[in-house]
Amino acid sequence: EDAAEESNVSAELIAHRKRLVDEWNAWRARCKRDIADEKRSRGQRLDSGGGDGEKEEIE
Amino acid sequence: MRPILLQGHERSLTQIKFNAEGDLLFSCSKDHIINVWFSHNGERLGTYDGHNGTVWTIDVDSQSRFLVSGSADNQLRLWNVANGKCLYVWEFPTAVKRVAFNDDDESVVCITEQRMGHQGAIRVFKINRDGDGTDQPSEPEYMFNPVGSKATVCAFTYTPNLILTGHESGKVALFDIVTGSEVENNERAHMDTVTDLQLSPDRSYFLTSSKDKTARLHDTKTLRVLKTYTTETPLNSASLAPNRPYVLLGGGQEAMQVTTTSLRQGKFETRFWHKVLEEEVGRVKGHFGPINTIAVHPVGTCYASGGEDGFVRVHHFDESYFRAKPYGDLDIED
Repeated sequence: EDAAEESNVSAELIAHRKRLVDEWNAWRARCKRDIADEKRSRGQRLDSGGGDGEKEEIE
Repeated sequence: MRPILLQGHERSLTQIKFNAEGDLLFSCSKDHIINVWFSHNGERLGTYDGHNGTVWTIDVDSQSRFLVSGSADNQLRLWNVANGKCLYVWEFPTAVKRVAFNDDDESVVCITEQRMGHQGAIRVFKINRDGDGTDQPSEPEYMFNPVGSKATVCAFTYTPNLILTGHESGKVALFDIVTGSEVENNERAHMDTVTDLQLSPDRSYFLTSSKDKTARLHDTKTLRVLKTYTTETPLNSASLAPNRPYVLLGGGQEAMQVTTTSLRQGKFETRFWHKVLEEEVGRVKGHFGPINTIAVHPVGTCYASGGEDGFVRVHHFDESYFRAKPYGDLDIED
């Protein structure tokens, strides 16, 4: 079924989807960097709260 | 994907929530009761009994130690998850419509309704985690009255002191809880009441549902709308599926159409949309009335929906759900 669908969708649509996914992944990568930076800067400022910062990163 | 039917509520569900491990599912209802269930088999573990009105909202902390609930009896309650004991009761002039823990379990935010000369208010309580939990501060740490449209939903962001709110007008906003000021807003995030707001695991983006029949994905930092999922029914809830690129949407026409409802038995569907491609990928039927609340298991192995019909349905995903790549080999970041 999946194969059948694949052959039906145009190359244009596939390119469109690929672009959407690439944009999303690029944005996610930026987000993750931002959060890591923010947590790091907070951890440095609030030394006593450093333990909390580490706990948050476990997941 | 045969659903497990959780029968234990006598009236419509208002909110359901998994704990951090996903082994427990909490549900609250217009029948004044909060229930907790084992998510793997649907057995009821217990109830939290004490509210004297519709329980509108619940949240459980990340350690599954404390549960908070907000009710139409104007109370915010703190419960011991393990033994069902009520640890503390806060009383307000109006109903509590939404509660949420922050990410380190140390604060709870709640929205109280605007009614009878009382302004809608947002309060933040510091939760004292020492001892047995019964020694709580009676006064909020912060409180403010957001001006303009009523707030309907709220949640903490990953930035300390910054909360997200959704409003009756369709607005989505960021508030600084210390100053009570609106830091950022998107007035046109939705065209009608925001009914649900759920964050991604890292809280960097969030999903809202609205009576305007759409669900939308927003950037937490800028409140920019990233994605829109347009359906043909007012939506009551929207949830993100962890580890799969889907969002789950639920809603349905209100009680006005009861007569047609009985003819379309079990036709109220949870809609699965592709999070990034904004295309609908499937539907799961089941409820006999509008779907009021949806939650996905924290690792995405099952989801639950709570309906106007008084049932909670838990669906454990089949192997095929995890293998399926409806749009080919796309590698999508969560």
